[in-house]
Amino acid sequence: MAQLFTGLPLRLIAAGVLLINGLFPVLWLFLTSLKSELELTRTPITWLPDRPTIANYVDAFSDQPLHIFLMNSFAVATLSTISTLLVSTFAAYAIARLQLRFRALILSVIIAVSTFPLVTLLVPLFETMRALNLLNTYTALVLPYTVLSLPVCTLVLVSFFDGIPRDLENAAMVDGCTRLGALFRVVVPLAGPGVFTAAILAFVNAWDEFLLALSFNASPMLRTLPVGITLYQGEFAFPWTVISAALVVGIVPLAILIVIFQERVVSGLTAGGMKG
Amino acid sequence: MSGAVHSALRLKQRRDWASFMDPSDRALAFWLLAPTAILLLLIIVYPVGRLVWTSLHNLSLTSGLPAEFVGLENFEIMLDDPIFWAALWNTVLITIITVPGALLVGLGLALLANLPFRYRWPVRLALLVPWALPLSFVGLIFAWFFQSQYGVVNDILMRFGLPRIIWFNSPEWSFTAICLAIIWKTSSFVGLILLAGLQTIPRSLYEAADVDGAGRLRQFFEITLPLLKPAIVVALIFRTITALQTFDIPYTMTRGGPGTSTATLAMYIHQNTVSFLDLGYGSALAVAMFVLSMGVTVIYLRMMGKGH
Repeated sequence: MAQLFTGLPLRLIAAGVLLINGLFPVLWLFLTSLKSELELTRTPITWLPDRPTIANYVDAFSDQPLHIFLMNSFAVATLSTISTLLVSTFAAYAIARLQLRFRALILSVIIAVSTFPLVTLLVPLFETMRALNLLNTYTALVLPYTVLSLPVCTLVLVSFFDGIPRDLENAAMVDGCTRLGALFRVVVPLAGPGVFTAAILAFVNAWDEFLLALSFNASPMLRTLPVGITLYQGEFAFPWTVISAALVVGIVPLAILIVIFQERVVSGLTAGGMKG
Repeated sequence: MSGAVHSALRLKQRRDWASFMDPSDRALAFWLLAPTAILLLLIIVYPVGRLVWTSLHNLSLTSGLPAEFVGLENFEIMLDDPIFWAALWNTVLITIITVPGALLVGLGLALLANLPFRYRWPVRLALLVPWALPLSFVGLIFAWFFQSQYGVVNDILMRFGLPRIIWFNSPEWSFTAICLAIIWKTSSFVGLILLAGLQTIPRSLYEAADVDGAGRLRQFFEITLPLLKPAIVVALIFRTITALQTFDIPYTMTRGGPGTSTATLAMYIHQNTVSFLDLGYGSALAVAMFVLSMGVTVIYLRMMGKGH
């Protein structure tokens, strides 16, 4: 009986289910992006492309300014990541290391923020950004995205800082380092994996966000990738081959991140989630 | 003499400098937490205040008129607005269907992924890909999956001898397609959280149960599920809060159609604010969303408190 559950056939079936569930949609998208419009509108449909073509990728860049969407997404995600890291490293260090009277309260506030419905901020932030003339700027997105990632990044960093022996820091301070100096010369380098994990989470959060980007940055030159990609569909026409190609272009940076850093991402998600 | 004073002064100066560079813990804590506090005041506290204020006013940017205090009028309009009720109902229905759905599928994925594979990375990657994909991409991908003529879902249905479904012409099938897309996208996050929970359960518990002759099913219900409860609660709370805010997937799949059959509360807030520029009414809708979301969180926290 026990063999049945841990035996090789079951493991093969389990791996098959997991891989098909997780990867088939992206694989199908990739196959679609290699088909011609003519092949796509044939019934019964073909699964593998008859004559693979990269024409859709060329069209994806010429039908819409895809390179600008990509650049905007990179800029917004990178800036949000940097600002999230700065703010959350400071907060996490204070929570993990200093004798705070309201430590529990501060932690609860940060966890409460992670359960805050950001959608409700759409109206007041739209109003404020419009009044301050910040609509269609990177700032309009970087500020809310920093708040979006702040809770999870702070929690991840607190758990990493907790794992660093205080003695190392004390030794640095005896050697003449200030507390802030010890933070940047000893703690942050040792928590490098944690900082990196937090960075990936903040980057993916910003890369994926749709509603605020759609609402605040509608001008053609400032659209991010998720917003820009919805523009390929016309009122009645859905050029699925070109849409697929554009989606694949948008997935590649994410795929590179998670293939290389999968262990970090998993540890970060669970550290953030478990604490919450 | 003067040399001694001089060096004493220098010493004092140095101490001042040192206390500036190495402030006491309390002062340091203040400065380290200040950026977080400022950001939260600017992006959450002030906007929430503004939201409540605007919800009590008539403020439409298309009219160009200044805000006019109208009391609870926006909320009265809301309660008489059939689209509000339709959107609210759709949002609640999506939550009721996709949260347990994602939890069950996620639990299944976690149990499968916890088997003793020789190579762990392909399995982990298969869980990470749906998590990392933007929701808006998932909406587009599934719109293409469910496309009536050339979509792969209908192709598979027909291979099994089933009739083709025109998914996006019918309110029920559109809704089904949206729920399936949401469950697919979110179950991987649940799976990752639960997998981490599974890995903290000591093997010795199962070995002891084996010795006692407890079957696999009993082990699952008496060891796995109880020990997994904290992880399940975390996943449940986060999933519910994100489900109430559902926007990206229905927006990219159906734009809320046909009619308003798949419109959610978040979509209606977005439409009133960004398309109609009716900030007063949009704010009232957002206040409703805020109350709904906070209410659910409080109920969960109460339940957790009782559980302990």
